[in-house]
Amino acid sequence: MNLVPCSVVSNREITQGNFLLTLKVPRGFSRPQPGQFVHLRITQDVEPLLRRPYSLEGFVERGKLRAARIYYSVVGRGSRLLSQHQPGAKLDVIGPLGVGFSPRPRRLPILVAGGRGVAPLLFLSRSLRDRKRPFVFLFGARSRRELYGVREIRGGRLHVATDDGSVGFEGSVLELLRQEWREGGHTPLTAEIFTCGPHGLLHEVSDFARENGIRCEASLEGPMACAVGACRGCPVPLLPGADSGRYPAMCVEGPVMDATIVDWARLP
Amino acid sequence: MKRDLSVRIGSLELRNPVLVASGIIGYGREYERLVSLEEIGGIVTKTVTRHARAGNPPPRVCETPAGMLNSIGIENPGLEGFLAVKVPVLRGLPCAVIVSVEGENVPEFCELVEGVDGSGVAHAIEVNISCPNVGPHGMRYSTDAGMAREVMGAIRPLTKLPLIAKLTPNVTRIGEIAEACESCGADAVSLVNTFVGMAVDARTRKPILGTVLGGLSGPAIKPLALAKVWEVVQAVDIPVVGMGGITRPVDAVEFLLLGARAVEVGTALFADPTLAEGCVSEIDRYLEKMGSSSVDDLIGGLEVPEGRGVIRAGCAPRTVRGGRAS
Repeated sequence: MNLVPCSVVSNREITQGNFLLTLKVPRGFSRPQPGQFVHLRITQDVEPLLRRPYSLEGFVERGKLRAARIYYSVVGRGSRLLSQHQPGAKLDVIGPLGVGFSPRPRRLPILVAGGRGVAPLLFLSRSLRDRKRPFVFLFGARSRRELYGVREIRGGRLHVATDDGSVGFEGSVLELLRQEWREGGHTPLTAEIFTCGPHGLLHEVSDFARENGIRCEASLEGPMACAVGACRGCPVPLLPGADSGRYPAMCVEGPVMDATIVDWARLP
Repeated sequence: MKRDLSVRIGSLELRNPVLVASGIIGYGREYERLVSLEEIGGIVTKTVTRHARAGNPPPRVCETPAGMLNSIGIENPGLEGFLAVKVPVLRGLPCAVIVSVEGENVPEFCELVEGVDGSGVAHAIEVNISCPNVGPHGMRYSTDAGMAREVMGAIRPLTKLPLIAKLTPNVTRIGEIAEACESCGADAVSLVNTFVGMAVDARTRKPILGTVLGGLSGPAIKPLALAKVWEVVQAVDIPVVGMGGITRPVDAVEFLLLGARAVEVGTALFADPTLAEGCVSEIDRYLEKMGSSSVDDLIGGLEVPEGRGVIRAGCAPRTVRGGRAS
């Protein structure tokens, strides 16, 4: 983890309100693991004041170019300002930060993505493909327009669900997961789940995993201040029995955590 | 000309007057790759309490216009955990270490001060009598002069380390609280802790913080903090450590001009981890421009025109010169 000056290579609006930011990073930025994040200072001004944490969608090393990619939606002041950064603009970045996904050997990873939560799972799928490991990618979105990155998912089996039925299965990605588990012949010893998306979805997926004894990691998101474990501003509530009377910090003990012990009802 | 930035706070000697505030930098190591500890005066640790605390329920932070609300609730491993786990971490930091302590009652404050004194790692103790996020006892000791006197008087005989009483701004007459601490042997006072604040989500009709109320910090509070520091430097003769909303390096100079002997950098460090070093450089540059060789020439150098009285909360206007009441 370092504080590094980065420059914007591109900042493209992929679909309305959803952007892919590519940042050229210097040598001081170590190669990140899928699931790790960066803490971006979006403006030198005091408004908005705090940095913003963003999961990495990917990391590119091509010749002399080393670039981190971030897929984000415009949801507030910070992301709106970020969307206005043009190629060549400078951003200072702390990263890579946090704990990424940790696929176990000899288990089939089942990736469950909801909406823009697909970003770190795309990174994971590329990493699995590079290691020639098979995987299943279940991607749920509201409509066809929100299926970012589907064409890049290679080396694994892809199933898509949309709320409006515009492509793939009409309904929730959780249904896809239930179906995959039912029909795929998976067991808790042969498969595991990696998920990212809205908290509601993560809650449902983790309940499913817990009920079936399946190992399940989720990438969490929430407000952070320091992002390095100093301020303790991003506590993750755990279920009784798992908490040992303490809150893990999302920034250093996450953002990827064992989903089956997170108390989703108390996570904002 | 080599400029002397060193300052003294009681027997605490700092190479320069820039500290990082409690709750910002953990125990130093969390930020060690981002903050050059050898360039700053020192750090104030996260507050240690008698017993381990899990902290408050989430959400604990919320950004507000030019500021931040927090209700962390002093998550820490308690005195025993501090001595076992954090003291080795703090040992060998290349800057002064000021350990922050907070007790629920006077005996706990005493135990904490004795424990920290015996650890051998602290260069000073900041006595946090002003946290708004730890239940009813939190701010109690610095909202009442009698209670401030009670706690500072009880701990004073227990250590030779410099004692810095950290004050809340959530009072009408902060000068009186500072005077009470001074009268009981505090070596310095530090201020301001956060202002009590609140954020509401109109969409969900709920308060945003898990504890409803929290502490406001960041650039939004700087004018309020300056006013409180100004009031206190007129009220006491012991050193004042100023903080609250320092965001640009020049902000640190402003607090020193008011009469603060040192400053603590807080929330804005989250955005700019180089801020504390930037403050040191700015103070040095300012002295160079002044043609001065010592930071002492800067401290209390505020020029208040004759005849322009200073309104202290609840007091008649007084004329001041050079940062000191006349």
